[in-house]
Amino acid sequence: MVRVENLHKHFGKLHVLKGITNRIMKGEVVVIIGPSGSGKSTFLRCLNLLEMPTSGDIYIEGVNVINRGENRVSINKVRENVGIVFQSFNLFPHMTALRNIELAPMIVRRVPEAQAREDALALLNRVGLADKADSYPSQLSGGQQQRVAIARALAMKPKVMLFDEPTSALDPEMIGEVLDVMKGLARDGMTMVVVTHEMGFAREVADRVLFMDDGVIVEENTPAELFSNPQNPRTKAFLSKIL
Amino acid sequence: MVASTLSFLWEHKSFLLWGAWSTIQLTTISVALGTVIGTVVGICRVSRSKVLSLAAAGYADFIRGTPLLVQIFLVHYGLPAVVSSYVPGFYVAPFVSAVAALSINSGAYVSEIVRAGIQSIEKGQTEAGRSLGMTYGQTMRYIILPQAFRRIVPPLGNEFIAMLKDSSLVFAIGYNELMTRGKILMTKYFQFFETWVAVALVFLCMTLLVSRLVRFVERRMAINGES
Ligand SMILES: Nc1ncnc2c1ncn2[C@@H]1O[C@H](COP(=O)(O)OP(=O)(O)O)[C@@H](O)[C@H]1O
Ligand SMILES: [Mg+2]
Repeated sequence: MVRVENLHKHFGKLHVLKGITNRIMKGEVVVIIGPSGSGKSTFLRCLNLLEMPTSGDIYIEGVNVINRGENRVSINKVRENVGIVFQSFNLFPHMTALRNIELAPMIVRRVPEAQAREDALALLNRVGLADKADSYPSQLSGGQQQRVAIARALAMKPKVMLFDEPTSALDPEMIGEVLDVMKGLARDGMTMVVVTHEMGFAREVADRVLFMDDGVIVEENTPAELFSNPQNPRTKAFLSKIL
Repeated sequence: MVASTLSFLWEHKSFLLWGAWSTIQLTTISVALGTVIGTVVGICRVSRSKVLSLAAAGYADFIRGTPLLVQIFLVHYGLPAVVSSYVPGFYVAPFVSAVAALSINSGAYVSEIVRAGIQSIEKGQTEAGRSLGMTYGQTMRYIILPQAFRRIVPPLGNEFIAMLKDSSLVFAIGYNELMTRGKILMTKYFQFFETWVAVALVFLCMTLLVSRLVRFVERRMAINGES
């Protein structure tokens, strides 16, 4: 589904990703953990080309998406297939929840308005916000905004969903509602890559946990194995701090 | 003094009000065209094309770094002089020169307002748009500009007020607006003090009215959506 080969990313002199190689299978849920600054966000952002990797290759369904000829059309095509949910929601504040969701399918995929609206309402229903269609983001709680953001990404019918600390900006009482939506997605077979500090979620939903530190994947395993029996000393040190 | 000024104002009210009307027309047309120019130039300022952004910056710097009166003379006397060497007898009416000079001037200031407005929108908005597969242009059109324009309204109102006052400089090329009419009254009646206090009061009324209007629009927009 997603194959990453020896991915490197530099920001100027700063070497942030130092050779990441991994394969993500269809329907797999992969959780990425690791200390702040280890390159988790940068890795996700490379996967939908919000950041251009310095070197290395990314294949999505067998297609090499790193078009170094700067072919923007193909970049947009990649992004259509890879949804991302940000820590800070990034909803469009001047649009209602419904409009937030239906806009991209209409203008990018040219879905007719009636169809896009119907799909958007179905998605709102799926994230439990059918009654908030006409609300503006400023009228929604953080948890509700993040659920709309998930629906917005799903509206493009992506093949992979990326989540970058989707609950980190939320008050504790709202974390559950967002995680529940994500668990539902996982159950429905969505391929997901999730950066999170929610170890309960990782244990329950993840097929595989990657531990990243200093721009490399230090260790990976099933959540049960990784949490109870970490091999690498850096993994041990990190887990002892957060568990 | 107060009494004589008031009676002077009253006596010449329709003459002055017609002048005020010309000033408002001139300013409205110029700022409207300036907003169109400024939006295009402002978008060029933030574009990824080095050529476009440098050209846009050059235009804004030239206009903001030279006196408006010089620009008015350049448009009214300078350019027609060049053209008339090819087209004998070429002449541009003061109204046309006035609108052209003021629009070009206003466009430069508006482009700065537009640029600042676009850059004030959080980077996350662009990323959200792009991550949904929207092109740069679509993200600008549907996501960034609508938000930027809400933030642009107040400074655009200030630009309008500034232009309402600065447009008085076109008296120098003989366009018949409020300032020109003040000059006509002065040379006709020699009531220097009354004339210019009266003109000042009419300008003041216009600027106060416009700033009220801007605040009203601002409040209406705050009610209709967005935090
Ligand atoms: N756009 C950028 N420009 C320069 N440095 C960046 C940029 N984005 C991230 N970095 C740097 O890259 C490193 C990894 O950041 P990030 O991927 O956000 O880590 P994480 O998500 O694991 O906390 C950090 O040192 C950060 O300062
Ligand atoms: Mg991060």
